Amino acid sequence: MIKFQNVTKTYKGSTVALRDCSVEIDKGEFVFLVGPSGSGKTTFIRLLLREEMPDSGRIWEAGKEIGHLAKWRIPYLRRNIGCVFQDFRLLPNKSVFENVAFALEVIGRPKHVIATQVPQVLDLVGLTKKRDNLPHELSGGEQQRVAVARAFVNRPLILLADEPTGNLDPTTSLGIMKLLDRINRTGTTVIIATHDAGMVDQMRRRVIELDRGVLVRDQAHGVYGIDSATAAAGAGSPTGSMVEQAPTALSTNELPDSFAART
Amino acid sequence: MPVSAAYVSKEAATNLWRNRLMTVAAILTVAVSLALVGSSLLLKQGASKATVQWQNGVQAIVWVKPAAGATLTTSIGSELHQSPYIKSCVFRSQSYDYSEAKGILPADELDATSQADYPSSYRCVLNDPSQASQVYQQFTGKAGVASVKYPGQQIKTMQSVIRILQWVFLSVAVVLLLSASVLILNTIRMAIFARRREVSVMKLVGATNWFIRLPFMAEGLIQGLAGAVVAVLVVLALYFGIGLDTPKTAANQGSIIAQMSLGGWEVAGTCILVAVVGVVVGVVGSAFAVRRFLDV
Repeated sequence: MIKFQNVTKTYKGSTVALRDCSVEIDKGEFVFLVGPSGSGKTTFIRLLLREEMPDSGRIWEAGKEIGHLAKWRIPYLRRNIGCVFQDFRLLPNKSVFENVAFALEVIGRPKHVIATQVPQVLDLVGLTKKRDNLPHELSGGEQQRVAVARAFVNRPLILLADEPTGNLDPTTSLGIMKLLDRINRTGTTVIIATHDAGMVDQMRRRVIELDRGVLVRDQAHGVYGIDSATAAAGAGSPTGSMVEQAPTALSTNELPDSFAART
Repeated sequence: MPVSAAYVSKEAATNLWRNRLMTVAAILTVAVSLALVGSSLLLKQGASKATVQWQNGVQAIVWVKPAAGATLTTSIGSELHQSPYIKSCVFRSQSYDYSEAKGILPADELDATSQADYPSSYRCVLNDPSQASQVYQQFTGKAGVASVKYPGQQIKTMQSVIRILQWVFLSVAVVLLLSASVLILNTIRMAIFARRREVSVMKLVGATNWFIRLPFMAEGLIQGLAGAVVAVLVVLALYFGIGLDTPKTAANQGSIIAQMSLGGWEVAGTCILVAVVGVVVGVVGSAFAVRRFLDV
C-alpha cells in the first residue's frame, strides 16, 4: 500500500527532516508514527499527501510511484487519502453536515450520493443528532469526529492523522482512537502521527519511531518509548490492546453495512 | 471532472458580495477607462468619416451670383475646368438649386423668395480634397462668383482637435486599465485570503485545481464584464446623445456632427471591442492573482 525507499527530505536552512527512510506499510495496517517534535513525522505525512517532494528516494502509494505523478493528478491521489489534523480544520460557517458534504461536493459527487453517504458516516462517528450544529457549538472531541467523518466520507484507502488527539483530553482522545480503530477495521490503512504515549501503549499496534529524521524503530506491537514500555511492564499493564479489552464496543457488526462490506 | 457552471457562478457571486466595496471600485475603474477607449474610438471613426466629402463626392461648391449672366457663368465654368485642382464639375442651374432649397428651407422663408433669387452653382470634385483651399483662393472674389464653399476648413480643425483628444483619451485609458487590472487582482487576492480555509480543505480532499481556480477567475471576468457593460452604455449615450446616429442628408450636410455620422455596425463594433477589452482586463487581473496567491 505504502512504500518508502531511501527517502531523504531536507528543508531550506539545512534541517534534515527525513534521512534515508525506508519503510513499507501494508493495506489495512494500523500504524503509529512516534517521535519528538521535529523528528520528521509531519514531513512523513506531507510526503504521503504529496504536499512535499522527496529530495531523493522513491515513494509508492496504492501501487503508484507518486514522484512521477503529473501535477494535475495530485488531486486524484488525494481522493484516496483522508486526512485529520490536530486543529480539526473545519469550516466555521458550515454545519456539521455541510462540512462533511463539502468534501464530496468539491470532488463533484452528485447530490444523491452526498445525501446517502454523509448521514452514514455521521452515524459512524455518532454525530447524527448534531448534524445541523455549527463547529463552534461542538466540543473539541465532537469537532474532531466531524473531521474524521469528513476524511472518511469518500471511503479513502488511507487515513492519515497528524496529532489527532493533540488538543483533546485523555477520555476524548480514547474515543477518537476507538473511532480510528473502527475505520481501520473497514479495511482502511490508518497512519497516526502522535505524541500521545498512553494511547500508543494501550493500543499495542505497529509503531514506527523517528528521531531527527532517522527511522530508529519499527515494532509490530510496539509502545511509545522504551521507558514507557518498561514502566508499563512494571505496572503490570495489560499486554493486549485496548481493542482486545473492549471487543464488543468495537465489533464490526456495529458498523453500517456499507462500511462492514468494505475489504 | 467537469466544473458545474452553477457552482462557479454561485461561488463567484458570493465572493463578489463579500467584497462588494472593492468590487464596485474595480468595476467603476474598468468602466471609466473603457468609456474613454470607446468614445475615443467613436471620435476617431467619426473623424475619418468626415474626410469623406459632401454628398455625391462634391468637395467644393462655387456659387454663382444670381445676377451673373449666362456668359459669365460659362466663363467661370470653363475656368473651373482648366483649374489643375479640379477633376470634374457639374453645373446646377438656378431651378435645380431652387428645388434643392425647397427641401431644406422652411416654407415661410421659401415663400419670401423666388427662383430668380437663387444662385446657380458648380459642384466640383477635386483631384486632391486637401487642395480645396487653393480652389477657394482662386475663385473667391472673381467676377460673378458669390462664394466658394468647401468642408475642408472646419473638418481640418476638428480633425486635429480630435487627434489630440484621441491620444489623451487613449493614454489616460491605458493607465486606468492598468489600475483596473491591479484593482481586480487585489479584489481576487482578498477573496482568496478570505477563503483560504476552504481552499486548504478543498486541496486536502482532492478538489481539482481548476475547480478551485475557476470561481476566482469567474469573479475577475464578471468585474471586467460589468465594467464593460457600463462603458458600452456610456458609448451608446454618446452616440445617440450627440446625434452621431443621424444619417447624413442634404438637409444637414453643413453640420460637423452629421459629417461624423456613423452607422449602427460601426458603433456595434466599438461596443464589442470595449466588451472584449473589459473581459480581457478582468481575466488577466484574476489570472495573475490566482497564479500568484492561490497555491494549488
